[in-house]
Amino acid sequence: MSAPRMDAATAFEVADRLHLAAPWEVFAERSRRYEIHLNGRSIELVRGPIFLEGYGIRIFRPAGEGTGEGFQASTDLSSEGIAATVADAEKVAAESSFPAKKVDLPAGPAGASNGVAICDTSLWDRPMERLQEYVDALLRPFDGLTDVDPSFGSVRATLTEATLANSAGLRLAYPHTTIWMELAVKASGGPEGRPPGEYWVNDSFRRLEPERAAGQVRDWCRIARDVRVATAPPTGELPVVLPASIVTTILPPVFAGRWTGRARLRELAPAIGSAWAGDSVTVVDDGRFPWGLGSSPSDDEGTPQRRRTLLDHGRVGELLYDARHAGAFGTGSSGNALRGRSSLYADWRRFLHSPSAVPTTIVIPPGDGGSDAEIAESAGDGIWVQQLGWAIPDPLSGAFGGEIRIGYRIRGGKLAEPVRGGTVGGVALAPAEHPSLLRDIASVGSTPALVENMSSPTLLVKNLTVAGAS
Amino acid sequence: MSDLRELDAEFARALRSLESRTKFAEALAQSDAGQEVTLDRRSVTPSREPRMRGAVLRAWGPGRWVEAATSSLNAEGIGKAASAVADALSKTDGGSTPPGPSSTLRQDWNERPARPMRDLGMEAMIAHARDAFGWATSVAGVHECQIRIGWTDEERFYMNTAGARCYQLLPKVFVGVVPVAMENGQVDYDYLGEGGVGGAERLGLLNEEKVRNHAQGSVELLKAKEPPTGRMAVVLDPGTTGTFAHESFGHGTEADQFVRDRSYLRPLLGSMLGPEFLTIVDAGSYPDGWGTIRFDDEGNPAQRTALVDHGRFVGALHDRETAAALHARPTGNARRSDFLSRLFVRMTNTYVEAGDWSLDDLVREAKDGVLLEHTTSGIEDPLGGQMQIKVKKGRLIEHGQLTSRVKSMALSGRVLDVLKDARGLSRQSDFEMGPGYCGKGHTDLLPVASGGTYLLSTAIVGPA
Repeated sequence: MSAPRMDAATAFEVADRLHLAAPWEVFAERSRRYEIHLNGRSIELVRGPIFLEGYGIRIFRPAGEGTGEGFQASTDLSSEGIAATVADAEKVAAESSFPAKKVDLPAGPAGASNGVAICDTSLWDRPMERLQEYVDALLRPFDGLTDVDPSFGSVRATLTEATLANSAGLRLAYPHTTIWMELAVKASGGPEGRPPGEYWVNDSFRRLEPERAAGQVRDWCRIARDVRVATAPPTGELPVVLPASIVTTILPPVFAGRWTGRARLRELAPAIGSAWAGDSVTVVDDGRFPWGLGSSPSDDEGTPQRRRTLLDHGRVGELLYDARHAGAFGTGSSGNALRGRSSLYADWRRFLHSPSAVPTTIVIPPGDGGSDAEIAESAGDGIWVQQLGWAIPDPLSGAFGGEIRIGYRIRGGKLAEPVRGGTVGGVALAPAEHPSLLRDIASVGSTPALVENMSSPTLLVKNLTVAGAS
Repeated sequence: MSDLRELDAEFARALRSLESRTKFAEALAQSDAGQEVTLDRRSVTPSREPRMRGAVLRAWGPGRWVEAATSSLNAEGIGKAASAVADALSKTDGGSTPPGPSSTLRQDWNERPARPMRDLGMEAMIAHARDAFGWATSVAGVHECQIRIGWTDEERFYMNTAGARCYQLLPKVFVGVVPVAMENGQVDYDYLGEGGVGGAERLGLLNEEKVRNHAQGSVELLKAKEPPTGRMAVVLDPGTTGTFAHESFGHGTEADQFVRDRSYLRPLLGSMLGPEFLTIVDAGSYPDGWGTIRFDDEGNPAQRTALVDHGRFVGALHDRETAAALHARPTGNARRSDFLSRLFVRMTNTYVEAGDWSLDDLVREAKDGVLLEHTTSGIEDPLGGQMQIKVKKGRLIEHGQLTSRVKSMALSGRVLDVLKDARGLSRQSDFEMGPGYCGKGHTDLLPVASGGTYLLSTAIVGPA
């Protein structure tokens, strides 16, 4: 991968104008954003370039036996604007308290992208042209179809030059791209006169792959047709198959809630070495995973990215730390300080946020369960969940679940009729003496898929509670 | 700049520069100022709203809008944005007028509560948070508690070439309490969240009795049973009723979805969809809601729009384009998340008006089922007409009585079936409006409120 040319040096320029006692840090972004919004098969609105350049200044000051953290963000790059931002940060630091005797910010020479694949260079060089090609690829599969249409959608690409400077001498710069795609595919018409069906897809990723998108749309059209004829699932405790697109909505927020230095400080984190999943389950957090949404050469404090083992054969491996929480425990940052990520929402304007420790790209390695067809065969009789309304797990209790927007009965080891409505749910992660998704995995597929900030194969869970027609 | 109205001359200059190329242009400036503190057992974390303000300029070219945004609110920044719009317009032949009526509203709303939060100071906010933390953790079994207190002054200034010029400064306050109970590695919590237009008087919402009750609720959840599973009678608490209104009717009546032919409700406009006691409303003009606005981002005044009136589906939410397409009037629901985001038809404060039952009567009528309490999320299905609502807790209803506490669950159902099965709503004394954030699809979050009273119907429920 060849890195695109970077022009921005925003954080360095702000840092050079600071007259501050250490420790301090400046994280900055210069972004260009391009959007294409769809109405049916037509383009409704084109936006961009939307330019945004801003920075966040963070300082640490002694506060009793601990440390006060002050953070403020701004888009004002004038000397007066920087001074006002620093004054805000100083006020906030004076009012805050945190039980770390000191916070060590990473030192180092100027950094570069270090080969981590996070920037689509052709998108970087020809943004609107590439975005248009991608939209064309999304729409092409609808040509000649009379029963399926896109009804609502948008593709939004953000091209960002991230820069970081701190009082320990670190100067870091890297470019990256993110794309948000949303498409609602509507199936209608037909002789049976049923109401229309919709398969509504949301995804975010780092590179445009038009041909892959075209293939996906053909699947989405089939699924939208299935929505029209789907019936309610049964009620009961059933084997449930969860493809990567579902797993990625469940596990990252739960690890973010319990597997961090913040959770440890609040005495909510699991003990290292304790059992939280079946012996066959290993889960890692890989900050350099190619094209992962959470991947980067260094985290948002400048600590180099690496792999971390969250669960090692079912036992807790390590917790995730940023510099501040690492300081509270006298340990080192794990390189998980990211900005603007919550369990609900990832803000493309990361400079607006102070960092916190969250997973980067969570990886469940492939298992020996075989292909999706073989996983279904292992399930025997159960449910394949294709899409949930919103799984949104509880980050502390680990409870997850939602309405089945579309799924399939599995009968005799084969995918059978589509199902829709009702709910499926359970607990994602719990101490091993309690039932949970990760404790009760029956089979792990052999083909992983990267979806947003998680790479996972398809999983077969022994039993989850399905509420449907009864 | 003391407030965004100082952009008056720059906006006028920018709009004049576009008048030769378009028959309509508008400018919107947006800024939020505020402070927040998050406190837990080991840390106090104050924060301030970022120093980010900006403006978006939009003009009509033939058949489509052209827009550009800037975070530089000076002559140069606004001039550049106007030039970008002019460049895009020069590629069109100019001259047509945009669909729908242009606002001519000229009014300022510069709202100052009797006790502005900005005068309270961070120290006092931290003191309130410490009090609440103390009340919560004095309840046996509560291991930890996170308190959030904050305020935001939401400021918007709008001008267009049709003569509109309006300004609003809306002070909003929010509080949140999450008492966490833990036992043998199992963790659970209840939560308390309130918010709306006002000043420091709103911190009264954070009183000892409420905080202790919610802390007790967290402890109960550790011992709670698994929720029942399947189709059954459900009583929704006021917040959940509001979320039902928001997800079922709010999203389905955003008229851009009508224009896209992506709403199961469109063919049903004018039909009786529910019992006569059911009235669902969206009101940006609701006096002190979290979703309250005085005018929308097309400069149209906020209003009360009945969506369902005594069971009949009567209305939809419009911007100027959808209003023109569907022979309606704009309803003051054209909203942007911020100056960087596009405009969509959006909700404001959406609620179900009260009925005349008591909660006891609704529970007796339900006989067997479940009470759903404390909504945590919901998601719409605008074309399919399903909905998902998740709640933090509930109570079993057995033989017409509220009995055991049950854990978090999800409600699923076809909206029209849930409406058809609605049997009663409780009285105005139970009415509550709660704050939240709503996306258009899965992005563009903005503040909204939803509310109602207790509602009895039938739906599918399962653990979640």
